[in-house]
Amino acid sequence: MVEKIKAELGAALGGVEIRETEYRERGYHLSCEASPGELLKAARFFDECGFYLAAIVCVDYREYLELVYIFANHSALCKTKVTLKLDPAKPAAPTLSAIFDCAYWHEREIREFYGVLFDGHPNLTYLFLHEGIDAYPLRKEQVLLADEDKKALGAFRPEEGEDTFFVNLGPQHPSTHGVLRVVLKMDGEYIQSAEPVLGYLHRMHEKMAENRSYLQFLPNPSRMDYLGAMSFNLGHVTAVERLCGIAVPDRANCVRVIATELNRISSHLLWLGAYLADLGALTPFLFVFDDREQINDVLEAVTGSRLTYCYFRFGGLYNDVDEAFIAGTKAFIERMRGRFGLYEKLVGGNVIFINRTRGIGVIEKERARKYAVSGPVLRGAGIAMDMRKAEPCAAYSEMDFDIPVGTRGDALDMYRVRVREMGTALDIIEQALARLPDGPVMAEKVPKKLKPPKGDLYHTVETPRGELGIYIVSDESDRPYRMKWRVPSFSNLMIFPELARGNLLADAVAILGSLDLVIPEIDR
Amino acid sequence: MEKIISIMGWETVKTIVGLVGVLIFVVFNALILTWAERKVAGHMQRRIGPKEVGPFGLIQPIADAIKLLGKEILTPREVDRPLYWLAPVLIFVPVLVSFVVIPFDASLQVRDMNAGILVILAFSSLSVLSILMAGWGSNNKYALIGAIRSVAQNIAYEIPLLLALLPVIMMANSFSLKAIVEAQQGLWFVVCQPIAFFIYFIAAVAETNRTPFDLPEAESELVAGYHTEYSGMRFALFFLAEYTNIFIVSAIAVTFFLGGYQGPFLPGIVWFLLKSYCLVFVIIWLRWTYPRVRFDQLLNLSWKALIPLAFINLLVTGGLLKL
Amino acid sequence: MLDLARANSIWPMTFGLACCAIEMMSTAMSRFDLDRFGAGVFRATPRQADLMIVTGTVTRKMAPVLTRLYEQMPSPKWVIAMGNCAISGGPFVFEGQYNVIEGVDLLVPVDVYVPGCPPRPEGLLEGFLKLEEKITGKRRFPGPDSRW
Repeated sequence: MVEKIKAELGAALGGVEIRETEYRERGYHLSCEASPGELLKAARFFDECGFYLAAIVCVDYREYLELVYIFANHSALCKTKVTLKLDPAKPAAPTLSAIFDCAYWHEREIREFYGVLFDGHPNLTYLFLHEGIDAYPLRKEQVLLADEDKKALGAFRPEEGEDTFFVNLGPQHPSTHGVLRVVLKMDGEYIQSAEPVLGYLHRMHEKMAENRSYLQFLPNPSRMDYLGAMSFNLGHVTAVERLCGIAVPDRANCVRVIATELNRISSHLLWLGAYLADLGALTPFLFVFDDREQINDVLEAVTGSRLTYCYFRFGGLYNDVDEAFIAGTKAFIERMRGRFGLYEKLVGGNVIFINRTRGIGVIEKERARKYAVSGPVLRGAGIAMDMRKAEPCAAYSEMDFDIPVGTRGDALDMYRVRVREMGTALDIIEQALARLPDGPVMAEKVPKKLKPPKGDLYHTVETPRGELGIYIVSDESDRPYRMKWRVPSFSNLMIFPELARGNLLADAVAILGSLDLVIPEIDR
Repeated sequence: MEKIISIMGWETVKTIVGLVGVLIFVVFNALILTWAERKVAGHMQRRIGPKEVGPFGLIQPIADAIKLLGKEILTPREVDRPLYWLAPVLIFVPVLVSFVVIPFDASLQVRDMNAGILVILAFSSLSVLSILMAGWGSNNKYALIGAIRSVAQNIAYEIPLLLALLPVIMMANSFSLKAIVEAQQGLWFVVCQPIAFFIYFIAAVAETNRTPFDLPEAESELVAGYHTEYSGMRFALFFLAEYTNIFIVSAIAVTFFLGGYQGPFLPGIVWFLLKSYCLVFVIIWLRWTYPRVRFDQLLNLSWKALIPLAFINLLVTGGLLKL
Repeated sequence: MLDLARANSIWPMTFGLACCAIEMMSTAMSRFDLDRFGAGVFRATPRQADLMIVTGTVTRKMAPVLTRLYEQMPSPKWVIAMGNCAISGGPFVFEGQYNVIEGVDLLVPVDVYVPGCPPRPEGLLEGFLKLEEKITGKRRFPGPDSRW
């Protein structure tokens, strides 16, 4: 696959050098540097080959700005990095939003944070930030916003038409589970268009990463996605380990899998409850919290926290698990297996629930690729893609599990996929418990101050919401030069305006819920 | 006392005393129901519910009521004042009037009218008007959508409600509630009219805006629906009306289908309240079990399923009675 | 009397900002059951709420919204700042930060501070008891520091 793409891409671009890179170190197979015209050609080529645009990252190298495009594939492991160098005084690049829909938001984000202009982009207005910002936050040297830039960024103003009116769903609204704001243009009860406004919980994680050492940044990822904190913790830790070449003991790897999967179940449970609450049934919410508390009890004993875990450390774990943890996990598996029947009776078999979700928010495979959605949303759309299988970290490569997929791609499928995923998570935990080896849980000789070798890395893990990509640029210091978090909810939310169009307000709530969003993760 | 009676006439005095009694009952009923709702919900959700405020949390609703009374009376700036002020008061009137004709016991009825059921239906339709006023007057989009939903829903469900009651009226041969109860001496109408009871109950739940038909105040979509902008005592009035409405629809169901105040051993009023509160419990139960239906599904259910079914039921009943 | 009623029927607003919101939900759920104290009626609209629990980081984009919500609540009203972010900006305060309000008390008056990141549900319950104490002047249960 890699060879084939290399040859074909080379032919498509003509005369551009395409380098093969060490996947184990870099997280991508091919890389090439392109000019604006060649970038467009490459994007069209990847679009035809059925690739998706995983992330766009901007890195400020002081002398120049670099745009990094990561293209990946759902069916085979073949990642390509295409870079584009820009002039820092007047950065401009062509837009890819016409080819890949997901570029639309990534480019808006880069426009705000770096001031890169994208030619041909339909709507380069504020996405995360607001009028009070004076300088581009992520530039290494202070670059002030010119007045005309501020004006252009603030151009988004909803205007009411003849027969339509606007409804602000949020930022304080029960169904957005946080502080997401969606401006809905309504025609009666029908939605004409939806425009999400983000950034109400933008907490500058990426800026913080550049200001802190790898170790100091450890608590942050779990505060991005507080429901799947373990997975984010895992992503950060494994990415840095991969960059520094630290080997982790087997026992630690196994425990990492157990803890992450427990956390995944807890996250899916909360989604289930919150989704039902969106649809008007409050009781399941309390039932799932009952189960969640059991998980919390088990995890709290070893990790020390209930929600924002910071359990994994570079080279291993903070704390070894004990007999009580293993017994508690086994008891939980037993209990949870029995609860599925209850949920099926209470929720899955309920006529009202099925009528509310069947055929709602249908995501076709092609659309899923264009928007680069991931996780249960992608699997609900029928694409069997799971980072735990595709790019296994920790002990996932030794686990045997299947990937549940949906058939229609509607909200009901998303529900079924998530419920079945809880089942597979239980299977994985059982396997990991069975093969849990003895031994240390911390690698020896992990330096206090990590100074990874120069270079970059694109590392992915599967969180409860989908593909988390971490792009790290290291300059041999103890702080990351740039750390970009490609978060799953952000990509999943992008598809919402398209799904909501033409639907009823009640359906919009059902669709928004089915995407399983965690707002702090989107806003970062 | 006798002088007053002689001046005003026995009937008038009875009505006034009855109205005062009804008012006390309404408040009391709402207090009990809010407590019951939270307690039932709590136990369904594997928790206890109110417990610390008074024995079993019984003082809880009183604390709530006093607190709501003591809240700042707040009128948002952009509201349509007359409508905004009038709506909570107006929603309360029809609820109160409906009580006048309900026979709690053979002799415990404020007024027995020969068109009793018509009074109830006519006045309960009025509550839609005040919901619309609240929604429109609030000058809030959520409230407006909630109010419009409520109107569509109430119109759609008024019809099956009426059609479900008609066979009973035909069988009892009277519009008077008391006569209907008396007609059930031998056999409750629920036995010979199960379909009508079923339709009536669904329509009644929809009329009271309860889950699964709570679209006008759907929390996850419309924040709080038509009463989004109401606070303190005005909100309490909406609350009161909602719970009283629940009791009324249950009471009518009991009167029409479950033999009213009739029953062995116990006095009639006890039977009546017992049956009513059982139905109320079922409504609360429904709320804490089911998700909400969607708007078009709600209307489809009424127009495409319940109304035809009610018509067929009516025709069959009519035919059988004629034979 | 009025105070007693108020203290026993504090209706919080459904207002989740970040991580702490999940712990706020946990507090209302089966194990901790906030409803025992009559405080379990979460109202989605500020008009019907008595208490705003600020559960998480307040950003500069969110600040005007938060102030507005506070103003929409009818008095008497109270605010609990839950978690370090709401108290002081928490871990998100560093030199050159551009988007976090360093403490919600810069925006609205706060009655009770509940520290933690995030605070445990027990912590929030204690916050509620403290608030009740503040309203009535009496404590419902013997406190953690008092001898029984």
